[in-house]
Amino acid sequence: MQTFIQLVVDGLSTGSIYAALALAIVLVNQATGLINFAQGGIAVLSAYIAYQFTVWGLPLILAILASVVVSFFIGAFIERYLMRRFEKGDPDTAVVVTIGLLTLITGICAWIWSYNNLQFPSLFPLDTVTIFGAVVSVRSLGTIFVIVVIMLILQGLFLGTKLGLALRAVAINPESASFSGLKVGRLLMVGWGLAAALGAVAGAMVAPQLTLTPGMMDGALVYALAAVIIGGLSSPLGAVVAAWLIGVLENLAAVYVPFIGYDLRIAVPFILLFIVLILRPQGLFGRKVVVRV
Amino acid sequence: MSEFHTKTWGRRTRVTTVVAGIGILALVATGCARGANTGGGDESGDAVASSPGITDDSITLGITTPLSGPTAGPGTCTVAGLEAYFGAANAAGGIEFGDGNTRTVEIQALDDAYDPQQAAANFEQLKDSVFAMTSGLGTPTNRAWREAAIDDEVPQVLIMTGDPLFSNTEESPWQLGFVPIYQNEGAAFGELLAASGEDHKVAILAQNDDYGEGYVEGFKEAIEGADNVEIVEELTYEATDTSVDAQLTELAASGADVFFNAMSITPLVISSLQKAQELGWLPSWFLPSNTSSPTAILEPGGATAFPGVYSVSFAKAPASPAFAEDEDVQNFLTNLAEYADYPDMPAFPHCMWSYMIGGTLEQVFAEMTEPTRENFMEALRTVSDYQAPLMLEGTAVDTTEDGQPAVSSVVVQKYNGRGYDTVEAFE
Repeated sequence: MQTFIQLVVDGLSTGSIYAALALAIVLVNQATGLINFAQGGIAVLSAYIAYQFTVWGLPLILAILASVVVSFFIGAFIERYLMRRFEKGDPDTAVVVTIGLLTLITGICAWIWSYNNLQFPSLFPLDTVTIFGAVVSVRSLGTIFVIVVIMLILQGLFLGTKLGLALRAVAINPESASFSGLKVGRLLMVGWGLAAALGAVAGAMVAPQLTLTPGMMDGALVYALAAVIIGGLSSPLGAVVAAWLIGVLENLAAVYVPFIGYDLRIAVPFILLFIVLILRPQGLFGRKVVVRV
Repeated sequence: MSEFHTKTWGRRTRVTTVVAGIGILALVATGCARGANTGGGDESGDAVASSPGITDDSITLGITTPLSGPTAGPGTCTVAGLEAYFGAANAAGGIEFGDGNTRTVEIQALDDAYDPQQAAANFEQLKDSVFAMTSGLGTPTNRAWREAAIDDEVPQVLIMTGDPLFSNTEESPWQLGFVPIYQNEGAAFGELLAASGEDHKVAILAQNDDYGEGYVEGFKEAIEGADNVEIVEELTYEATDTSVDAQLTELAASGADVFFNAMSITPLVISSLQKAQELGWLPSWFLPSNTSSPTAILEPGGATAFPGVYSVSFAKAPASPAFAEDEDVQNFLTNLAEYADYPDMPAFPHCMWSYMIGGTLEQVFAEMTEPTRENFMEALRTVSDYQAPLMLEGTAVDTTEDGQPAVSSVVVQKYNGRGYDTVEAFE
């Protein structure tokens, strides 16, 4: 039982990292209708920026906040001067552009900061608390807590504010939104900016655990994308629940299903993906898109 | 014409695109490393007096090694140590060869980013302009052009891989590994534990490839017949995994007092050290030589929390206070800064290893009577009991033993909070 609880909490903690990235992907998707493969790369860049601020002597929490602000502008800048050219065209082209962007940003990080593993300090102490006999690290709990807070803020943004409504309007129908007086371009920039800021939080939480390297988020990105599809593209809550599900199931399958073990556990999220998509093509929490013919 | 793309068609197609994209990324992330089987090399039958890459006053060595990517830290070191050694030798007038000529040593290093395909391509690019290939790091990368090197009769020697294949003369006539094979290291741990005379329960976590298997094999052979050592749990992980928390949780539950972590991925070693502490599991640790760096791994991992962290080594650690005054070490650091443009204190042992390779090659060059690759391979096999610079007491270079790399002797060391001390017994 102790081991079981331990595995579940650890799964939630790794799942939270996937969730942070998944939330950013959902955000961009809500604002622009695109899937942004570069999200992982932008998060790594943000983590490096936070690292650089600490090198310059800022306390960690300020460094992370500064990186969140800088990342917002980087995200907005990328949308305005790069993605804008592709948003009007074929969405598949835009997706390929984001994959290219991922490679480019990884290369830029390596060029500036080298491929060496850098030590990134953790926001949380290495302490542990005991829950039902299982030892849970403060870092895991902290990570889970931060994600829940961000998820609630986003859910609130989309469903309860004018900005959220405007963002969704632009994504669903840019033309009508523009006719109703919404500043479409600015809203798109805000969507990308917010997603990059969110990625900065994810990056700062992952970096202490994986050590900071340019390819740090590659694995997490794959899981995050799976979580986005499983949870439904339009739902922050869905993305987080799916990411947690992936993290927990992966751990449990490795330990309790001998045939899967540690070697095949990477397949767990994708088996889950197929099952969910067959049963609910719009994802667990996604909205069905109805098109009138 | 609509100024904006209206998305009435897209959902299903979009999801398909994304799922396909995920698949592609998953493949990229798991880095499908398959050894490229380049069977290149046509027999050029003209017997030239001297081989490529050597003249009367210079010799050129080639290196393919990771200079970018996750393994760039150690990879950069494989070049730096060699540059430091020969840079100093060149400045002193060059190296005296057995044929009476004094030659300077040039080094051509190419980046393979730990990618086997790229390593094979680098070899093709270098093979006609260098006399021998040496020092490169990595098992899959060195394997990728092993057969090509045999076909082209180009020496691939004193390379940094623990794979026994390279030290088997029958299979690999143009090869020789430099560092101890995985089995040597695993066996050193096993022997220490078996000789301790106390009862020990061992938990093992091994990388699911030749690396992990080699370590475990050596360890198990050494404890065979020792009834005081019992392996209570043995798990694996993939080199592409980003977390081994679940494995650690399972291993901690086994109640083992010794943990043998045969792991080659730096961040994972750090997070295992941290995770074990979080779980309140405090065994003694055995770590491989390439993932036990005090500054890069043990300090961030908070290794002082454990009763003992053991590793094996054959090189003096420049950062250790024990060697602060050591003349060997001081020369090495001076040369590293001056000739290899490497001013920092090396965080990886590969810097010391490649420096030793320089010393070993100098021994070999002194035995060479003809400027040919064949003659070089013969001379290579004559070095015995050579105490290369930076080598620890009790270890030596010996290239005369078939089936063993140039260095097969290691000493077990224990972490002292800053560096390592050689230990005689498990405490």
